[in-house]
Amino acid sequence: MRRWVLFLAVSAVFAGSAFAEQPGSKKRRPLPPEFGRVIINNTSEKAGMAAVSFDHWYHRAKYTCRVCHVDVGFAMKPGATGIKAADNQAGFYCGACHNGKLVVDGRTVFESCGKALIGENRQACLRCHSVGKNVPPSIDFKAFTKNLPVGRLGNGVDWEKAEEAGLIKPSDFLEGVSIPRQPMTAQKDFALTAKLQGMPEIIFSHKKHTVWNGCELCHPEIFVGVKKGATKYSMVEIFDGKYCGACHVTVAFPLTDCGRCHTRPVQ
Amino acid sequence: MSRARGWLAASVLGVAVAAVALPGPVALAQGQGAPAQDWKKEFEEVCAKTQDAMALPLKELESLVARCDKLKPTIEKLDESQRKVYARRLKVCRDLYQFVIESRVKE
Repeated sequence: MRRWVLFLAVSAVFAGSAFAEQPGSKKRRPLPPEFGRVIINNTSEKAGMAAVSFDHWYHRAKYTCRVCHVDVGFAMKPGATGIKAADNQAGFYCGACHNGKLVVDGRTVFESCGKALIGENRQACLRCHSVGKNVPPSIDFKAFTKNLPVGRLGNGVDWEKAEEAGLIKPSDFLEGVSIPRQPMTAQKDFALTAKLQGMPEIIFSHKKHTVWNGCELCHPEIFVGVKKGATKYSMVEIFDGKYCGACHVTVAFPLTDCGRCHTRPVQ
Repeated sequence: MSRARGWLAASVLGVAVAAVALPGPVALAQGQGAPAQDWKKEFEEVCAKTQDAMALPLKELESLVARCDKLKPTIEKLDESQRKVYARRLKVCRDLYQFVIESRVKE
């Protein structure tokens, strides 16, 4: 009983710390459609355009993380990719799918940064370059997620259960971009002992992670340690976006959902 | 007679010159897309094994890392968009193979 009280107390502290980023400023918790939103502004404002607002929720329902972050080549940190309109026009980055040709679920994926759009019809640019503009979304979040299993935090969707139930089928292959690969044999799951006495152990599932990420998305860029136990992870670093925090601060279920990692009761 | 011999010699010489000179331009014309295909084919072959990296023998992993390193200068010469994308993709797969090598050695 005391252990669970301690667990809840620690969870509450970390949950609070997630919203208190700087002294005196309170970070607003994102609403479900906003969770996983990335603002891209390498060149947009310099070119007289609004910055790009990218929502992960729709894209993650259609493609695995690996397709975009390994095969298409998007970096894991916002702004680190250095996307230019010319890249999209040449069929890279957003343009790998947003080319006006690819059809997903019977819809032709609109063209990004198409030369025909520039100049005459800048309204079309607002589909992505929408920061600070009142642009109605082309896909309604509420309607899209209404039949998906409910998650406690983040987008309010349990994406893992949604895939298990066949309600979403993220593709792990993009024609003309991905390299055909053999099915993967997942590495074994393992347990990590929490530093805090009484805190339930973390059970890390390789299977759950590799199905969406492969190996190369995490190793060695995010998890550089080659020997188990050599790297000591701290929750402060993780909340700061390192290690698990590279995804679980921004896109995957948030770190405040403690019980999804700290799952094994201490013996 | 001597005139006919002259024509014959000229014809033989012409054929010989053509045989030596033509393959160059022909190969060049055919090869405009070929080098591009070569690097992409090599890239796809090298980076197709990330799925199995943990199961590959050490020698094969080392060979894959060497092939990645050999391919890097070619990719660095591509136009900006291609270079950005494929340099990152190559790095990601090369680093994984190196990571597995190091984890084997330290085990």
